[in-house]
Amino acid sequence: MFEFFFRYPLASFLKGRFVLLGRWPGWVLVLLMVAAAGGLGWLIWAKRGDAAPKLRTWRAGVIWGLEAALVVLVLLLLWEPAMTVAELSSQQNIIAVVVDDSRSMAIADSGSDGKAAREVAAVKSLQDGVLVGLKKRFQVRVYRLDHGVARLDTAAGDGLAQIAATGTATRIGVGLRELAAETSDLPVGAVVLLSDGGENSDGGLGNIDRETMNVLRNRRWPVHTVGFGKERATKDIEVEEINVAAHAMADSRMAATVRFQQRGYAGQKATLVVKDGDKALVSREVTLAGDGAMQTETLFFHAGTAGARSFAFQVLPLVGEKNLKNNAVTRPVVVSDEKRRILYVEGEPRWEYKFIRRAEDDDKTVQVASMLRTTENKIYRQGISDPKELESGFPVRPEDLFQYQGIILGSVEAGYFTASQQELLREFVDRRGGGVLFLGGRFSLADGGWAGSSVTDLFPTVLPPGRSTFHREAATAELTATGADSPVVRLVDDPVKNVDRWKKLTYMSDYQDAGAPKAGATVLAELKTSGRKMPLLVTQSYGRGRTAVMATSGTWRWQMSEALGDTAHDLFWQQLLRWVVGETPGRVVAGSSVSEAGQTLTDDGKVRLTASVRGIDYLPAADAKVEAHLLGPEGLSTTVEMTPAGDVPGNFVADWTAEKNGAYLAEVTADGGGKELGRDVVAFQRQDGVAENFHTEQNRAMLEKLAADTGGRYWKPEDLGRLPREISYSEAGISIRDTKELWNLPAVFLLLLILMTADWLLRRKWGVV
Amino acid sequence: MKVLQAITVTAVVLALGTLALVGASRVYGFQRTADWGYQPEQSNEKAEFAWSRLSFNSSMASYGGGGYGRFGYGRGASWMRDYPKADRQFLIAMKRLTRIQGRATEQIVNLDSDDIYNYPWVYAVQVQTWSFNEDEAKRLRQYLLKGGFLMVDDFHGSVDWENFMSGMRMVFPDRAVEDLTNKDEIFHVLYDLDDRFQVPGEQYIRTGRTYEKDGFVPKWRAIRDDKGRVMVAICFNMHLGDAWEWADDPDYPETFASMAFREGLNYVVYGMTH
Repeated sequence: MFEFFFRYPLASFLKGRFVLLGRWPGWVLVLLMVAAAGGLGWLIWAKRGDAAPKLRTWRAGVIWGLEAALVVLVLLLLWEPAMTVAELSSQQNIIAVVVDDSRSMAIADSGSDGKAAREVAAVKSLQDGVLVGLKKRFQVRVYRLDHGVARLDTAAGDGLAQIAATGTATRIGVGLRELAAETSDLPVGAVVLLSDGGENSDGGLGNIDRETMNVLRNRRWPVHTVGFGKERATKDIEVEEINVAAHAMADSRMAATVRFQQRGYAGQKATLVVKDGDKALVSREVTLAGDGAMQTETLFFHAGTAGARSFAFQVLPLVGEKNLKNNAVTRPVVVSDEKRRILYVEGEPRWEYKFIRRAEDDDKTVQVASMLRTTENKIYRQGISDPKELESGFPVRPEDLFQYQGIILGSVEAGYFTASQQELLREFVDRRGGGVLFLGGRFSLADGGWAGSSVTDLFPTVLPPGRSTFHREAATAELTATGADSPVVRLVDDPVKNVDRWKKLTYMSDYQDAGAPKAGATVLAELKTSGRKMPLLVTQSYGRGRTAVMATSGTWRWQMSEALGDTAHDLFWQQLLRWVVGETPGRVVAGSSVSEAGQTLTDDGKVRLTASVRGIDYLPAADAKVEAHLLGPEGLSTTVEMTPAGDVPGNFVADWTAEKNGAYLAEVTADGGGKELGRDVVAFQRQDGVAENFHTEQNRAMLEKLAADTGGRYWKPEDLGRLPREISYSEAGISIRDTKELWNLPAVFLLLLILMTADWLLRRKWGVV
Repeated sequence: MKVLQAITVTAVVLALGTLALVGASRVYGFQRTADWGYQPEQSNEKAEFAWSRLSFNSSMASYGGGGYGRFGYGRGASWMRDYPKADRQFLIAMKRLTRIQGRATEQIVNLDSDDIYNYPWVYAVQVQTWSFNEDEAKRLRQYLLKGGFLMVDDFHGSVDWENFMSGMRMVFPDRAVEDLTNKDEIFHVLYDLDDRFQVPGEQYIRTGRTYEKDGFVPKWRAIRDDKGRVMVAICFNMHLGDAWEWADDPDYPETFASMAFREGLNYVVYGMTH
């Protein structure tokens, strides 16, 4: 139809450039157009007094518009309009046809009946005349695409029989770059890509990388994309992302956020499960959100005993779901039983001290070494590793203080610490990356003179003025909205019941006004007393570490006044103290380039191992000798030397390739001055083909964008018949620029006719003729 | 005749009563009560530590010197021995010698209500007379298992021990009672108390004996929780409370009072740290 009126394909108009072939310059045309339109307008305005009454209104404007358009059109035709468009020379160019051969193309949701496999539909659409049509005017090369492109063997036929949808990845970007490299000295006029758009590089984000786009622009290749597969699944649940720590402490409570979406099950119930092997660690029923809406749920589970674990996060399949392979994602986690040590400084004997220590007695991975001022001249030490530990009181040397991962400051005045000890406290958090917890008490926070100390910025709250902020009055605790999602204050797995549990906790025997939270601080719990609310548990990040305030010394009542066997008190303190020390780094911190991708390599084994190495004083150890010992599938055991990264002193890197599918463990060790500085372990996994199970809907947006950005066009399979002709309008390859006259288009004459007829009919209707 | 009979009966009763009193003073020791001069004031002062004295129902009220009312505050109830002067003198020492913020006056607690859970350290005397019903025994058991600490004092000899244990067995039927040794932390938490000795009651001033009844050898015993921490500290064959009470009596030897204070302070600090 389009070509009936316009003589040439739409693509030629889209790609062509408008020109005027007439001898007279274009500005004369514009001048004449304006003059004619203006003259007509003046004439109608001047004669409006003689016109019929109906024509004295807006109708005069309509008549003027029609007649002016008629005159402008005729003037335009006199200037011989035309368009020039680049067109591929016949039989001198190559058309590269790239067929997605990845596993997602085997999904049977295409074809006229919607039941044919995508790759079958793609092959059929090519064989239904498209290939023949292309071959009439071009040389055609057919490629299959998965991890890259490979040209099909056309010795016997068109080679399309080799398309079997068995590839374990879809790397469109890589494939197009490989195609450009392979045909660097060949006149490729255009690329036809038949795919579902399930690009799964770039962490499965489905984008074409910038490098590929630059290559395509340099070659001026129009990429014509042909989309296969349903754009919206009818019934499916897909896990999109898991956010879980790569390291955990043994027997600790871990939190994982599971992002998923569904189609076809809105409002129904589904079950989220976390598994360690075949053993379900936790399961929770959730109500599914609307179709296509991203849903995020937080699950809490126990890390279990030490070792390299692979946790599976799954939404149990629902009835009618076809793709079950995108319901689960696994993540490697290193569970460590390395003892974390906390230095607890307490200024006076008090119940909170006793009951915190008792709570920690049950935590095998956290050891509390405490120094308690029992008298003015005596310090009672508990939990020490050797008799000399803390013998001289609070440490004055970094290497002594930095052996701890966390510090608790109880009811102890700022003045108890010297200026250098206070500075050391700051360095403990900032440089060493430790955690400091400030407790409420008679000599704590503002009442302990901390507001005027040199480390006041360590507090996550702006301490109030004065020294009467501690009150021995009852106060109850309740969670904030942020606290409701935090594993630190999770006493019950169910989030709603957890909030309720906090509300029902017996009152604390005292409270302290900790002041207002600083910007960036997080209030996890509030205390209520006499109708007022104020922060109870506030946390913040500071430098490499973290600090918190717990504005009471009266949680011991939770232990004494709740029922015997109630775990609230002990669980809370164990979790809070694990938060204090859990993220405290050692002198060696190992990482990998796939940390943001859930420690998972998908179809590409290249990994960059990283290590941050610090000396005994936690200053960067740039001259350390760093090695990574890798263990992998099938008994793999190898050692890789890591070299300085060059950007930051103390940072080391090593590039390595995980050749096989499976789980890997890299233990990074660092030596300095003949002594081991430390070691750390990072786990990652390679999972080939798994990415093909996700994002299986046709990614039309990506295909359209790729086509639009390169000058190509997105095609539906049923429209492909026009491809052989339209594809020729390309500036790539060997092309000639053709000039096509436009004055004689049927559409032009039709428009003239319409304008004249409309003018005549309207004038007649309004009583002029 | 009737008058003569009445006089005779009265004389016999008086004679027997006198004999009984003399016998009792020999066997059990005679207990003077310090004149505190006024009824103890109850305090609303709020502090970290409250010296908590356990009042209990006595199964042998007359045995320990009488007592009336189930948990009455009338002078003479067995749990009130040395109360309140011993308590307050101990609190004075505690304030001078430690950083514990303690109330100046004591707190009476009982096992009738959950209020005892607000006082994680409890002192009890004359525990050979205590008796519990099932609810009281259960509450005391839960109190101790949750982290409460009980120090018992001022009971002497084998008979007292058996009576004490009959009550204790209602609380912990199966937990062993152990002799504490010098290695136990409770003797080092504040003062090193390797050289302990028997601390007698006030009767020492008159009798010169450090023991009462057949409690010749002092015993520092304990019942522990599952982690080996002392829950019940048993000061058997000694009378620390009297030593606190009579510490200001020039006739009462300072060495006894000093040891009593040191032991008491160690027990308090231990109870606040373990």
